Amino acid sequence: MKSLALKKVAVYFVVIAVCSFIVLANDAFSMQLTIGVLITVILALAWDILSRTGQVTLGSAAFFGLGAYGMGLLSPLLGTFGAWVGMLAICGLVAMLLGLLTLRLRKMYFAIATLGLALSLQVLVLVFRDWTGGSSGISPPVLLDADPQLQLLAITGFVILAMFVSDYFLSDRMRPALFLVRTNPELASASGIPVVRTRILIFTVSGMLAGIAGALYGGLYGYVVPTDVFTIHWSVIPLAIVILGGMDSTLGPILGAVMIKTIEEIARFYIGGVGYQVTYGAIIVLFVLFLPGGVLGLIKELFKQSVKGRI
Amino acid sequence: MDLSLIYQSLLLALCAAGLYATVASGLTLEFGVTRIINFAHGEFVMLGAFQTYFMFELQGISPVVGMITSGISMGLLSIIVYWGFLAKVLKQDEHNQILATLGLSIFILNMAVILWTPDTRVMHAPALLPTLKFAEIIIPGNNLVVLLVGCGLFLCLMAFMRFSRYGVQLRLASDDPALATLAGVNVDRMFCLSFVIGGITAGIAGGLVALVLYVHPYVGMDLVMRAFAIVALAGLGSIPGALIGAVLLSVIEGIVANFVSQGASWGYGVSFLIILLVLLVRPTGLFGKELRS
Repeated sequence: MKSLALKKVAVYFVVIAVCSFIVLANDAFSMQLTIGVLITVILALAWDILSRTGQVTLGSAAFFGLGAYGMGLLSPLLGTFGAWVGMLAICGLVAMLLGLLTLRLRKMYFAIATLGLALSLQVLVLVFRDWTGGSSGISPPVLLDADPQLQLLAITGFVILAMFVSDYFLSDRMRPALFLVRTNPELASASGIPVVRTRILIFTVSGMLAGIAGALYGGLYGYVVPTDVFTIHWSVIPLAIVILGGMDSTLGPILGAVMIKTIEEIARFYIGGVGYQVTYGAIIVLFVLFLPGGVLGLIKELFKQSVKGRI
Repeated sequence: MDLSLIYQSLLLALCAAGLYATVASGLTLEFGVTRIINFAHGEFVMLGAFQTYFMFELQGISPVVGMITSGISMGLLSIIVYWGFLAKVLKQDEHNQILATLGLSIFILNMAVILWTPDTRVMHAPALLPTLKFAEIIIPGNNLVVLLVGCGLFLCLMAFMRFSRYGVQLRLASDDPALATLAGVNVDRMFCLSFVIGGITAGIAGGLVALVLYVHPYVGMDLVMRAFAIVALAGLGSIPGALIGAVLLSVIEGIVANFVSQGASWGYGVSFLIILLVLLVRPTGLFGKELRS
């Protein structure tokens, strides 16, 4: 058990070390790239945490957009700190409500309902255009005076926070409970796990994390349009990342995000336009077929075999 | 507002229902039998639309022939996709099933973007039917074709499911795969058949798309989103529900687009607001039966 804890600490150290190295190197391109990776890491962790209770959401974009819009709308009213608190409260509340409403839905209906949420929010933004700026978008305040070094540091901090949250739900206290809720809700409630409360809690936490990712994204450029943040793109990215990296872990989404960004940049170079998204599809299809455990699963498998070989 | 204008927009919306019902019935059949939501269904529609478009623009082949051949080729493509991909995924857990077809959809969509650019194209085909005019109400011939083909296809599908030998086997395989196997039904083949039928309807729907809408890589995504709303509204797996859902949805969409300021830009978001509300009251949709887990 101790070595496991040590491994977890090592992951944190590596993340912090790599990020501080990039901050110190102060190269504009690599910092931009890292910021992009880290934001998707947060989004992917949010997705993974929710999937641990067996809920496959296609609605990450809803909370991503909600976070970006929350910051944009609340900042003029509440100041920066107040806007963060308000944004988190809104994302948490919406997630809690959606969690309550979709509790009775079967998996497939759940996927469709969450898919619909992002699209519905996009419509609401268009409907209340006097307030939200409609299709021309809004301008949330730019994060930390647009200083990329400070921005990267702050975002690293949020990634560490997301990793803490993810690790908490993987701890000895929570993991068995979530596993039971996912695989056998009746047995879970018979063994004293509050199934409904656990699901809602997970849903709320996941929504807030996705909201943070959106808020950071909006704060990067100080410009948000509904056709960017509410599009299915932001719901698909976490799926591809988690499938690639490995589900049900903290390290998986991090590995996945780094790899997908690398592949994406290469594809962008050769294909250009929006067609580079073909890589997401290809990755999901190939990994579901041949490596459902993701890269992390493969590594674990290889590790196990090498240990066996030695004995 | 002018009364005839209202009638006109409602009638045009009803014509669109033919297209929506075609897409939705294929989707709901596939789900009813295999319990997989086929996210790639829309991409089959899109491929069908491109096939009909290219056959007409490059070779001058009539859209009627184009429609039939795209139905056939999408049916064949479905066989390949099923045996090469979905059959393996069916044995994995539900997580991966949802992800698999979504991945396939993103893959095909972006391949189309790379091959044919995201630009919109218009097929300059002559109308297949003469334009209908009642006083001030004008229904273009092609919209009428969409309605007729959509309804015809729908009736064929219903008859097939009800009276044909394979239809009975399909229904049994969907109700109880274990019992179906005992009764001598080849369940795997039935699963494949449902995807083939879904593919054929998608291909024909693609032909209809080329007739009345712009052809571009995202057209399938647009349609399948509405189809999701329709089948969730009606209940996943219910084929008659798909028609009713399609009519409901297209009429509501027509009303919103015409009578709410800037309503046309709301698109399928409206439909999702509606299904969120319906799913609150009835988690299995309006006509859905309770599903076995």
